[in-house]
Amino acid sequence: MRREATRRSRGSRWLALLTWGYVLLSLWPVVVAIQFSFNAGRSMTSWQGFSLTRWYFGDPVYSVWHDPTLQSALMQSLKLAALDMSIATPLGVLLALGLTRWRSPLASASNFLMLLPMVTPEIVTGVAFSLVILHLFVFLHPGTLAQALGHVTFSLSYVVVIVRGRLVSIGRQYEEAAADLGATPWQSLRYVLLPLLLPAIFASLMIVFAISIDDFVISQWLSCGAGCDTVPIRIYGAARARQTPAVNALAALMVYSTLIALGVAYLLFRFLTRGERASGTSPGAAVTTVGGLEW
Amino acid sequence: MDLVKAFGAQKVVDGLNLRISPGEFFSILGSSGCGKTTTLRLIAGFEQPSSGHVLLDGVDMTNTPPNRRNVNTVFQHYALFPHLDVFDNVAFGPRRARVDPGEVKRRVGEALELVQLAGYEKRKPAQLSGGQQQRVALARSLVLKPAVLLLDEPLGALDAKLRKQLQAELKALQRQVGITFIYVTHDQEEALTMSDRIAVMSRGRVEQVAAPREVYEEPASVFVADFLGVSNLMSAMAGGMSGVGGRMIRLGNFELRAECGDGSIQGRAKITIRPERVRIEPRGSGGENRIPGTIERCDYLGSAMQLVVRLVTGDLIHVQLQNTGEPLEFPRGAAVHAHLPAGALRVLADPGEDDGKG
Repeated sequence: MRREATRRSRGSRWLALLTWGYVLLSLWPVVVAIQFSFNAGRSMTSWQGFSLTRWYFGDPVYSVWHDPTLQSALMQSLKLAALDMSIATPLGVLLALGLTRWRSPLASASNFLMLLPMVTPEIVTGVAFSLVILHLFVFLHPGTLAQALGHVTFSLSYVVVIVRGRLVSIGRQYEEAAADLGATPWQSLRYVLLPLLLPAIFASLMIVFAISIDDFVISQWLSCGAGCDTVPIRIYGAARARQTPAVNALAALMVYSTLIALGVAYLLFRFLTRGERASGTSPGAAVTTVGGLEW
Repeated sequence: MDLVKAFGAQKVVDGLNLRISPGEFFSILGSSGCGKTTTLRLIAGFEQPSSGHVLLDGVDMTNTPPNRRNVNTVFQHYALFPHLDVFDNVAFGPRRARVDPGEVKRRVGEALELVQLAGYEKRKPAQLSGGQQQRVALARSLVLKPAVLLLDEPLGALDAKLRKQLQAELKALQRQVGITFIYVTHDQEEALTMSDRIAVMSRGRVEQVAAPREVYEEPASVFVADFLGVSNLMSAMAGGMSGVGGRMIRLGNFELRAECGDGSIQGRAKITIRPERVRIEPRGSGGENRIPGTIERCDYLGSAMQLVVRLVTGDLIHVQLQNTGEPLEFPRGAAVHAHLPAGALRVLADPGEDDGKG
């Protein structure tokens, strides 16, 4: 008995060691990249002292803040991510709702079509988009709008997959209960289904953000030139031209913004669920909190 | 409340016709897959009938969506909204009906009082026990004062002891509020103890609608007899009327007299007798309806003795003897006479190959 326990704990110790080893190994390059964004000198390989701000905004020429190409790349990336999140997420939620509730032979076809962007190689999607915009929808010039539409198209399937998974696990019982208690279909969506879908919606937002911020191929194909360059495009370009730790700073900023987005999403989620928990003290307050969950 | 329904095409519920009176505790009893839940969903409005109508107080509700029917459901797995606390769950219905906040609070308080859950307003469903969740589900429906409350095996997920307790509470509650309950269950004991009337369903059809006593004592079909407890079904031949009342039945080489059951059956038939009505006597005792047999098994149940007797006709019957404190006179293997009193012996139509077990 005792021997078994020690063996098991030794095994779990190995597992912990291995896990932490892997985490360190995979995170180490990121840490080094961020470290060099604080390099006092111009080298990307040798440490020349610590400077908190030089490559972010301190350097009057090469810092992210002062180099217009880096600054615009950052803005472009964030703009695209914001557009993608605000279009793909609601659209994906509605699509998931429709696809799970719609009973028709067309539904399964739509379902299949929905998953196609996930399995299509991105380069193919990119080329196809480029051709469509250059020859078919010529009113859509390559540029921010085209890039955003491209991002929406292929991030939509992720939203649908996440939200639909949650919908299936929720089942129809809560909607039926709501209808039974006198809620119209719209009310049961607002007061029951959407609150229950919140975790999936947050997960979707995060995934869409991560996919959009990370995207290179589609952004490149639909780019209008230097003005439409996103962070990945700029970093890729910079890697083959002159390099300063400003590129590290730019990359580090992407990491920070992802972490901040995660943190905000988590806090928002906590806040919303706390609001739910606090309700019920007085009916009026409860109505307001439920109202706070309206989307 | 007048409820008339008929169905065709889909046949999950087939030609159902029920009329349930206001304030009645009405149970629909049947094995799983017999269509009882579908019937409930049709009444609630979650399913559309392929044909037929659902009437509520004489008004046709067939095309009314569930949210506009004055009918509420207690779901099998309660379906309490997990993101809302007990108060908000119960207040959900009144708020949708645009009841003003003060009135909502009063009514929710009343409903929770009714199910003895006052003080639990701020708990989330996940923080409640199964029995408490069931009460919240009940309060959530009762707060709307529906004309009919539908209950879909509401006690199915609870353990036996709690179920017993809640059965009694549910029945008392129904008397108190006077709302018509339509209660779906597969548990015959539950249906027998709580209901004013029971509809026994099999394969989408109603086999019998009657008061609990009648359903048990005077089953209309082999299925009903078999579904409600041990029925000791035996194949026999029905003959003519007996001079002393009842009819003559031939079981193997024995002539029996049966006073109960369908008088019109001739030829192949089933006879049935409840285990507690069979008498066991020593060999050699005389009189009608006595068949020799041997005791095959004898189980001590505490309050009773359960005997399994192999009759010389080959039939195996279960016999239940009250535990009167006297030592058991018939050990295993003992040769006895089984007395099947004519007043307890019932003749039923033989459903043939199709033995009615839905």
